[in-house]
Amino acid sequence: MLVVSRKVDESIVIGDGIKIKVLRVGREGVRLGITAAPHVPVHRGEIYDAIKRANESAAAPDASVESLVARLRASQKRH
Amino acid sequence: MSTEVGSVPADTAVIAFADGLPGFEHQRRFVLLSGPSFEPFTILRGLGPDAPSFATIDPRTVVPDYAPRLGPQDLARLDAAPGDALVWLAIVSLDASGEATANLRAPVVVSPASLRGVQLIDININADAGSDAPAPQYRFDHPLRAA
Repeated sequence: MLVVSRKVDESIVIGDGIKIKVLRVGREGVRLGITAAPHVPVHRGEIYDAIKRANESAAAPDASVESLVARLRASQKRH
Repeated sequence: MSTEVGSVPADTAVIAFADGLPGFEHQRRFVLLSGPSFEPFTILRGLGPDAPSFATIDPRTVVPDYAPRLGPQDLARLDAAPGDALVWLAIVSLDASGEATANLRAPVVVSPASLRGVQLIDININADAGSDAPAPQYRFDHPLRAA
């Protein structure tokens, strides 16, 4: 891992066109400004990981997704 | 065209997810399958060997006033303009107790015009708020009641 010290208003540039600037440093955390092309997805790490876990537990192997839907339909009828 | 998956009709449009889905970043091609035997669900089926598939539902059948914001980045990734018709899908799963839940916090959005899809992630929704916008109220595991 590359470790770099930065002060407020200083930034780092990653690759071609991704810039991360330190806007504020406080007791509660660091506020960052990220500049990237519109097609570059930018995510909070812990939220991305939570979505990843949700997707992994929801994913069905190709052959079984229809039986998952059948079970879901059955679970709906119970309500 | 889609002969690699026998149960997908040959004329089904392939939707491109440029970034895949979190956890399945390399799965870029999906089709949507719906029909009377699936209602109210729609299948988001990955194409290719060992591809993941998902059961999904229109989030507005779960929460009628569901209206998360779509930021400019999301529209750019969908190659869509504000006001374009978009298909919204919440991924559904069954938990250990057999309770069905829908992921309303990270919906999948598809543009039928560009045939592109993305899964929304909070920071994109709030990207242009310019301040500490409150986190969306929607849950990863919203209980699914009879639709």
